[in-house]
Amino acid sequence: MYNLIRFIQKHHFVLLFLVLEVLCIVMLTSTQSFHRQKRINTTNDIVGRIYETGNDIGDYFRLGKINRELAEENAMLRRQLSVITDTTQPYQEYVNKDTIYEFIPARVVNSTVNRPNNYILIDKGRLDGIEKDMGVISTDGIVGIVADVSQHYASVMSLLHSYSTISVRFKNNEHLANLRWETTNYRYGIIDDIPTHLLLQKGDTIVTSSYSYIFPENLMAGTVMELIPSPSGTLNKAKIQFSTDFSTLKNVYVIHHTNKAELDSLLKNQAAL
Amino acid sequence: MNKVFLNVIRFVLLVTAQVLVINHIRLGGYVHPYIYLIFVMLLPINIPGWQLLLSGFGIGLTIDLFMGTLGMHAGATTLMAFCRPAIIRLVSGNQKFENIREPNISQLGFAWFLRYTLCMVTVHNFTLFMLEGFSFHLVGQALLRILLSVPVSIFIIMLILYFFAPTKKKEHA
Repeated sequence: MYNLIRFIQKHHFVLLFLVLEVLCIVMLTSTQSFHRQKRINTTNDIVGRIYETGNDIGDYFRLGKINRELAEENAMLRRQLSVITDTTQPYQEYVNKDTIYEFIPARVVNSTVNRPNNYILIDKGRLDGIEKDMGVISTDGIVGIVADVSQHYASVMSLLHSYSTISVRFKNNEHLANLRWETTNYRYGIIDDIPTHLLLQKGDTIVTSSYSYIFPENLMAGTVMELIPSPSGTLNKAKIQFSTDFSTLKNVYVIHHTNKAELDSLLKNQAAL
Repeated sequence: MNKVFLNVIRFVLLVTAQVLVINHIRLGGYVHPYIYLIFVMLLPINIPGWQLLLSGFGIGLTIDLFMGTLGMHAGATTLMAFCRPAIIRLVSGNQKFENIREPNISQLGFAWFLRYTLCMVTVHNFTLFMLEGFSFHLVGQALLRILLSVPVSIFIIMLILYFFAPTKKKEHA
């Protein structure tokens, strides 16, 4: 026992170093897994508040721009609304009895675009009805999926994440594909699985498919930049320009799928069969 | 006591500057300067080992909390703190530190400090980008990040240290 204490005394510098490093590795492996099943919560209200304060200062210089963007969006929504009310007037009692998607507006308080895995911190949390796995969109297109929630804040795994894949559809030919990030430039994504018979033009629109219950169908995801033919002649790739500009993101909407609990239990039962 | 207070202030200022300002500077996606290392670099030279390690771990973990990368910065900064005594010995050679309590530019000279910063930043960035690369399977990118980030970090750190260094005359007057 005495020897052990002497050993610890003598080598306390190295031993403490090893203990701290092991602690770091444990934290790293337990928080960076795909499902982020965490024992340690990484979204934290104090951090959120500090970012928000820093952000508020910056916002004063951008108020004009933000106002303009919101006004433009308002105008667009008004236009859409007028079209919708016109066309659905006769069928009003059949259409949209219960909308299944609700949109919760939120503000971005911190975001990154230049890490290998990027997250966006928004100023709405559990108390505002945000839950894990909800979709997040901006006026320009899809943004990401809620990865973690605290009382007043939520962190969103953006499309700019090495684990992020989104089920999408080519608008003009209904073909389904998976969109992922190309890992370096925040403007571009990649689709890996395009059959060779599919002819794509530059500028073709890509929207969300109906296969995901995180995002509503037909949300803008991006446009085709160029088709990269595969050398072996099997599946072509395409470089996609995201419709969302992640570096200037300010106002987003979190999508609440009102029937999600029902869908989840159905999928779970299906998996159990 | 006064020195502890000074270090607490330094800790808060550096973390704030790092997460609210420096992290938002985007230089092509490969360059990530980290200035919070100044905190560990400027700790007293004869600080007890365990305090040095815990300081490094502490500031790394704080940065991690802000960036949502729990363990990454803490690991890199702890290793840097662990290497600090050896690095100081390496860059000093025969130089003695009789009346120098904290490393500072005015007493130790620009050349000494540049060597010191180079070693510390390299150890830190190498560990950090490797941890990032291994956990995301992007080792090639990690190497490029190291190559591009180290010079920028050193430049910014030296600039900050140069402007905030206490003048020699004042300290000994």
